[in-house]
Amino acid sequence: MQKYLLGIVAGVGVLAACSFLFNTGPVVAQTQQYPVYDSAGGVKTPTGYRAWVFVGAPLTPEGLNDGKYNCDQPGGCTRSNFPEYHHVYIEKKNVDAYLKTGSFPEGTVIVKELTRVLKPTFPDSSRTEPSGRGYFNGEFNGIDMSVKDSKRFAATNGWGFFTFGHHALPYNPTAAESPVTDCAGCHIANVANTDMTWIQFYPQLRDKQAY
Amino acid sequence: MRNVLSVMILAVAVVAASSFPRNARSVAAAPQQSSAVFDSVGNLKLPTGFRSWVQVGTPLTPNGLNNGEAGFPEFHNVYIEKKNVDVYLKTGSFPEGTVIVKELTRVLTPTFPDGSRMEPSGRGYFNGEYNGIDETVKDSKRFADTNGWGFFTFGHHPLPYEKTSAEEPVADCAGCHIGVAKTDMTWVQFYPLLRDKKGY
Repeated sequence: MQKYLLGIVAGVGVLAACSFLFNTGPVVAQTQQYPVYDSAGGVKTPTGYRAWVFVGAPLTPEGLNDGKYNCDQPGGCTRSNFPEYHHVYIEKKNVDAYLKTGSFPEGTVIVKELTRVLKPTFPDSSRTEPSGRGYFNGEFNGIDMSVKDSKRFAATNGWGFFTFGHHALPYNPTAAESPVTDCAGCHIANVANTDMTWIQFYPQLRDKQAY
Repeated sequence: MRNVLSVMILAVAVVAASSFPRNARSVAAAPQQSSAVFDSVGNLKLPTGFRSWVQVGTPLTPNGLNNGEAGFPEFHNVYIEKKNVDVYLKTGSFPEGTVIVKELTRVLTPTFPDGSRMEPSGRGYFNGEYNGIDETVKDSKRFADTNGWGFFTFGHHPLPYEKTSAEEPVADCAGCHIGVAKTDMTWVQFYPLLRDKKGY
């Protein structure tokens, strides 16, 4: 009887171990929990976003800009505010909702990951490759992120703005909400009518093309 | 003793049953299943759903920097299914059946001769209207003559795109890609996700 019980215990143990393995995949893949705010209202660097839906890639090369930005960053001052490619990613469920309703659901996260341009050889930062003269993605160069939460960010039209640095990897592990003058101000001034988002630069959202 | 044995058998059965769903899932994700669909005369059908695939990079060759007529006007948004990106990140080459879609967009209303314009984020280039699709398919048997990849185009023009494409002549596409034969015929050097291997 004791051996019998031991067998049952072993069997249950194996079952528990198996279902643990089985559940790991889907649980890890869930993103609904993001973002989680710390006590100071900061959030962690997003993960997995390079597999989200890509909606557009504005490009503001150093060679075409003449400002003085990002002087507090490890790379030093830059001529472009957002150097240089801006790859913009949104989870599919939220793109789906936008395509249906024209606005993003509560909890939507928009990640803009910057990349530098690849080794410029012309003053405008372009270079020549077999496909022609132009611009090609260089190294990853930072993340800005916006989060829709109408209650938490009521003061800035329902969206919170965060930055994890405009510099090469590794990015800052957490971000506090950016001051209104750094991000929200410009979004309020220019794109308040399109859910605080630069839809005019994102063909899929702008032209309402499906996938 | 017999009881103990039957409990052990039960335990083994539980292990087998539990691992079955895991295997079934990886079979469903098997890279052998290609999203490339060929019609009865061997032409490739226009891809669908690719705008939700993984974007690996976005070269830009503006008309304004290419004597008014870039070979690929102008943004090149490049998409690959996640299961195939996963394999590339592990092995350094793409599985059979991999499809790579390059969708072009024009730049948004240029105001400078180089094709750029001013926006609140700075002077530069912004995605304009969709402007065509080129596609490559990896099939080492079917495309043995061109290093295992076939090249197709559904036009370089606004929507709607062509519905099917015959394989392109070597001189139009494959000939140039032979230059990147060492990186599985793909311009990995322009795709940070594949080049720098940082994961998602």
